[in-house]
Amino acid sequence: MPSIDQTENGRNYWRSLQELALTPEFLAELGPEFAAGTDLPPAGTSRRRFLQVMAASVGLAGLTGCRWPKEKIFPYANRPDNRTPGTPVQFATSMDLDGVARGLLATSYDGRPIKIDGNNLHPDSLGATDPSAEASVLELYDPDRSRFPMEAAGGQTFNRTWDEFSTFARSHLAEIRGLQGSGLAFLVESSSSPSWAGLKQKALAAFPQAKWCEYEPVNSDNARQGIHLALGQACRPHFTFSEARVIVALDADLFSGHPAAIRHAREFVASHDPDAPEMSRLYSIESVYSLTGAMADHRFPTPASHVLPVLCRLALELARQGLNSPLLTQAVLDALKPWSETKIETPYLEALAKDILASPARCVICAGDRQPPLAHALAALLNSALGNSGTLVKYTPEADPSHPGSIASITALVEEMNAGRVQTLVLVGGNPLYNAPADLAFGEALKKVSTSIQLSLFVNETTSACKWHVPMAHYLESWGDGQALDGTLCARQPLIHPLYEGKSPIEFLSLLVEDQPRSGYDIVRGTVLPLLPGNDKELAWREFLNNGVLSGTATDPVQATPQAEAVVSSLKSAQPPSTPLSAQNLELIFCRHPSVHDGRFANNGWLQELPEFMTKLTWDNAALVAPATAAELGIAHGEVAALKYQGGELSAPVYIMPGQAPASVALFLGYGRTAAGRVGNGVGFDSYTLRTSSAPDFGSGLTLEGTGARHIFACTQDHHAIDTIGASGRAERVGALIREADLSEYREHKDFASHRVHSPHAVPLWQPYEYNDNRWGMAIDLQKCIGCNACVVSCQAENNIPVVGKEQVFRQREMHWLRLDRYFHGEPDSPEIAHQPVACVHCENAPCEQVCPAGATVHDHDGLNVMVYNRCIGTRYCSNNCPYKVRRFNFFHYHVHYTEMEKMVFNPEVTVRSRGVMEKCTYCTQRIQHAKIVAKNERRPITDGEIRTACQTACPTEAIVFGDLNDPESRVAQLHQNSRSYRMLEELNVGPRTAHLARVRNPNPELVEKIVHEHGSHS
Amino acid sequence: MSMVLIPEKDNTGNDPTQRPELILGQPDFAQLTESVCRVSEAPSPPRVWYVALSISLAFTIILHVMIAYLLWEGTGVWGIQIPVAWGWAIANFVFWVGIGHAGTLISAILFLFRQKWRTSINRFAEAMTIFAVICAAIYPGIHIGRVWFAYWLFPIPNYLNLWPQFRSPLLWDVFAVSTYMIVSLLFWYVGMVPDLATFRDRAQTRVRQVVYGILALGWRGSSRQWHRYECAYLLLAGLATPLVLSVHSIVSFDFAVSLIPGWHTTIFPPYFVAGAIFSGFAMVVTLAIPARYLFDLKHIITLRHLENMNKIILVTGMMVGYAYGIEFFIAWYSGNPTEAFVFFNRALGPYAWAYWTMISCNVLIPQFFWFKKCRTSIWFMFIVCIFVNIGMWFERFVIVVTSLSRDFLPSSWGYFRPTLIDVMTFAGTFGLFFTLFLLFCRFLPIVAMAEVKSILPKAGLDSGPHHGHGQYWGEIPYQHDEAAKEGGAGV
Repeated sequence: MPSIDQTENGRNYWRSLQELALTPEFLAELGPEFAAGTDLPPAGTSRRRFLQVMAASVGLAGLTGCRWPKEKIFPYANRPDNRTPGTPVQFATSMDLDGVARGLLATSYDGRPIKIDGNNLHPDSLGATDPSAEASVLELYDPDRSRFPMEAAGGQTFNRTWDEFSTFARSHLAEIRGLQGSGLAFLVESSSSPSWAGLKQKALAAFPQAKWCEYEPVNSDNARQGIHLALGQACRPHFTFSEARVIVALDADLFSGHPAAIRHAREFVASHDPDAPEMSRLYSIESVYSLTGAMADHRFPTPASHVLPVLCRLALELARQGLNSPLLTQAVLDALKPWSETKIETPYLEALAKDILASPARCVICAGDRQPPLAHALAALLNSALGNSGTLVKYTPEADPSHPGSIASITALVEEMNAGRVQTLVLVGGNPLYNAPADLAFGEALKKVSTSIQLSLFVNETTSACKWHVPMAHYLESWGDGQALDGTLCARQPLIHPLYEGKSPIEFLSLLVEDQPRSGYDIVRGTVLPLLPGNDKELAWREFLNNGVLSGTATDPVQATPQAEAVVSSLKSAQPPSTPLSAQNLELIFCRHPSVHDGRFANNGWLQELPEFMTKLTWDNAALVAPATAAELGIAHGEVAALKYQGGELSAPVYIMPGQAPASVALFLGYGRTAAGRVGNGVGFDSYTLRTSSAPDFGSGLTLEGTGARHIFACTQDHHAIDTIGASGRAERVGALIREADLSEYREHKDFASHRVHSPHAVPLWQPYEYNDNRWGMAIDLQKCIGCNACVVSCQAENNIPVVGKEQVFRQREMHWLRLDRYFHGEPDSPEIAHQPVACVHCENAPCEQVCPAGATVHDHDGLNVMVYNRCIGTRYCSNNCPYKVRRFNFFHYHVHYTEMEKMVFNPEVTVRSRGVMEKCTYCTQRIQHAKIVAKNERRPITDGEIRTACQTACPTEAIVFGDLNDPESRVAQLHQNSRSYRMLEELNVGPRTAHLARVRNPNPELVEKIVHEHGSHS
Repeated sequence: MSMVLIPEKDNTGNDPTQRPELILGQPDFAQLTESVCRVSEAPSPPRVWYVALSISLAFTIILHVMIAYLLWEGTGVWGIQIPVAWGWAIANFVFWVGIGHAGTLISAILFLFRQKWRTSINRFAEAMTIFAVICAAIYPGIHIGRVWFAYWLFPIPNYLNLWPQFRSPLLWDVFAVSTYMIVSLLFWYVGMVPDLATFRDRAQTRVRQVVYGILALGWRGSSRQWHRYECAYLLLAGLATPLVLSVHSIVSFDFAVSLIPGWHTTIFPPYFVAGAIFSGFAMVVTLAIPARYLFDLKHIITLRHLENMNKIILVTGMMVGYAYGIEFFIAWYSGNPTEAFVFFNRALGPYAWAYWTMISCNVLIPQFFWFKKCRTSIWFMFIVCIFVNIGMWFERFVIVVTSLSRDFLPSSWGYFRPTLIDVMTFAGTFGLFFTLFLLFCRFLPIVAMAEVKSILPKAGLDSGPHHGHGQYWGEIPYQHDEAAKEGGAGV
């Protein structure tokens, strides 16, 4: 085995991970790396407590399930209307994340919420979800959730009751009320809830001197300030892509993490349709490879600090090419000039500007949250100059215009705390001790606060420094309300009685500030009833709960024109980046992690094990470094590096990421938790230790030095770390697996996909089956798939797929039935990404069926390739013989360590597999059966679209379609007939039921020539 | 009982005018019986035997511990994963089944071909077969995920009317290996009956009298018994002969019938059979060398026997080498890119070390056997045979693991790493194998005395027309030499 230190042409990047891992040091490191809790028998709920909780939840099932809560326990003597035990019921609710309500439908099974889907009435959900919302149901049953109020006294922690807490809190606050609230501060998470806003007003009225601080580590401060700068008022931008022809994303991940990501993706794929007369084109200028970058027709890896200069250059180029607008005054152009002199590599700007000017009003420029306010202001100015304001870009006023932004807010609070002006701090959610900017030393400041009260879902890093801790209710346990990004009012209703005595933030605040504390239900009704239309408020209320949203409550957009003067003056006062980035002066970027977000979901096994789309990393974060930069630094993939940045130091393993901007290092936030719980503790490293209040998004001056130590990454796919022969073999065949064409080729050869591979005529060995009834099939449109992973988590939730832990993933035993294969092609410095969701394709002539000696995997009469778990003895021959490698084996009893509480998340319709059994995608056979039974009872055939698989329901872009291939009118049958449709590995004569639809890219013809000229042909 | 010390003599000459001596020292029947029986009848075996047995027993215990741990925890204690869902267990299975083939080949095919030299080695080669198949049979049983349902592999009538899936090569394996096991066992036992009778007759203790008495099935050596015996032996040889070819062909179907590139190859059946014989003979030589020293059988298992086996090793090694070459040729000639990739990947990819170990051990090292000096040097052939054993294990590893590790979708490629449990389980089967073998050496006739006697010059076979096994001029109890001669000649 070659050791890692040997480098070939400095391209150590191409080595295989496995080779690294063979070295003894590596294996030695593996032990402690293994996430705690995944293999240990957890200290679960005691039997007595569990029975109590179960009794409570069963008893309350009727109450929580129905929409008329009576907070008493009744026996199930009379069945409530519309409820049949054993029949799942869906309720509309919402989840607050980053101060925006995400519209959801929660499926309750006999009083237990088990599955989260999107609410199709919600403007930014459209029926789809994202991984964090999907996985939130696991969070509900997390055995590590805080269970009792706790008080720290004399260095010890005592369990208290809510009564004790409320006696203490109300008397304590009564004293403060006498002082007009001086010495009191609230540190809260962003919330979109009108009820919350009302209680905040009450709190500030009762305690006029109190400080109110809102902090989110991942926030949109920049956009807020930038738009404020440009428009002169606090507004949030809304982008619409369905009519767009050119979309320019500036370090903006429009399709992931953004509150409107789902709508963005849905609209983008609609405009990016190769069969439409005009297909949109997406340009992405970004440092870290994002989902938007992966979908882009052109992506220019650019360090984050160079994105604003690129935007300035683009503005100048647009003006030079004749963009006439009263907004682009000479003053603006003059102010832009100094930026254009910065030495940056932007060879493509001319073509981009030309493309934009072909139809300026149908172009939209989006700046990302990481970019400074000036970039947002300039983007707003350019959007207006292009004439798309009001059509593709709209602005709505912020609900709370006085909010100074998260960083400013917490900086001010820490100042007050350090000055000793805060004696009582009320923390509602959040975890500032872990995620506040490092330079603020929040922990030190908190020591100066005599009384701190924390409401939190978990006992987290901050809890140990607080005097009081009280458990928060999960959103699935509480009443609430919220607003979508556009202001639409959303409902939140409990599906289950609080498992651990938690209170929701509104109940908690009501307890603190109201004379008569109200229940969550009363608070929400109090807020919402006046907003409801019509006279019959009760009916409207029920309708509101039924729909989950109140239509027509979206905030009206404002007609605002950017003011060039403000932008000019900011441009003049800002300094273009002077010292060029290099291997000695690297740029450091902080990124929200697509799964664990800012770290709040770190204790969620589903999210920890979800392979990050780009790196395919699970249970870890890494410092992403570009291949060229790594070569220059002499750092190998997986080597632990010492990062020095603004006085801080951090050691982090390096992940050499193709397409990462040169001299730019990206760190994911949200890892290295120490008090997350049994799943999240000690996973990865804590990037917050380098994050300062002056540069929370990115900054330069980072140095990175290899330490020689090795770190083991548990990736589900080892693409770029591979030997030469493997790389050439992969390069040879990826084009046949994921078929792609440029628009020009597609227009000439609509059926290019079927000609990518020559399939010899093959004769089946066995007599083909006949299907007289249904013939289920699936189509996955690669043109639409954005790689967001929602389908993977949805599948995991629906099908009771176990979490196996880092060590098992490293051993390539992850259990996901559905995976996203991701390949790079092109130059390692600026590769394109080809990806495809792969699950069992339900072969007509299935190779697995032929080799199973027990007959445990068989064809059913609808053509499903079904697994009979009871019959499986686990020879694993089927997996060996599966060319798609979609079968998953229970090497251990992965479910055995689940606590009783965690087991409540299981879908009772799906068998929980034991050790030694093979499993795989079933096309959600339980949903098919359910639909069949319903249709049979109603004496009608199953209609097209009635059965939706779990992956399909989650998909933001409707890339996955399931249905009956025997029905020529069904959507899936038509997609199978589409000219772009092809069957992967068709040449093996296995007859896959799942068809993939080839992806068509729409590169700018001028740039294609440039690229061919500069880099040779893209293979 | 006096020791018969016979100096080692070179009987490997190829002078056609001189018939080589197969048994040295021209022992008479009594001396031969004595030299074989004393292995078992000596009051205590050599000290080395105790040392070897205790080491083997220790490894056997390790095997049991490993299996218990595996059953307790699950198959995940091995290094297997997706895509390499079969790892060492299946490689070991094929390895052990292959080892067994030499025994059957020697006892059945060489018997039918009237190869007289086989008589010195056939008994313990057959014993080796049995023990190797026992070791092999452990693996398919324990490698499955739910071991407690292993019996579902057998077509047992049940009220659900559920049968195994007859299209699966694994099921064919079950039939092939169990048939092989039964026939080999019968063949071995039937062949041993006259010798067991000798043991019985010489027994000094009550226990030996009873045990060998039962095992000898009342053998009296009458003409009629000899007649029946010879018929049965011939029939069993005829039955076992196709099995030599079929078992490993069917084992190879596990791979050849699948669609995985590197497995899906029509050359597999002959290639596997050649490989099996190759590895089996290497194992026979590996066992014969210490055994003939330990039990002082150098005059019975002579250098000529060893040299003959080395020649077979050379021939089958070349066949195996040819198969390796042809695989590459077909990979290129077929024009199938995935097929071509698998072979280039074997030779140049992450498993190149295993591939080149295999090539060196199986193709290059046996080439020394072209030289007579190498073929007849005890130490040299021992080392070569150890290498062949290693190489043939690697062949199975290369076939099973490298093909699976990189099949069709590059996203699902993997790299298999064995765990300590894998290694210790394999080491444990060696413990079991040697334990059984050592017990066999001590308690059963290690050389087929009756058969060897038939080829002694004293039997007079060299002087007249004779054909094969049926002619016995041995020391047959209760019978006069002449009577035996006539009885035997009647076959």
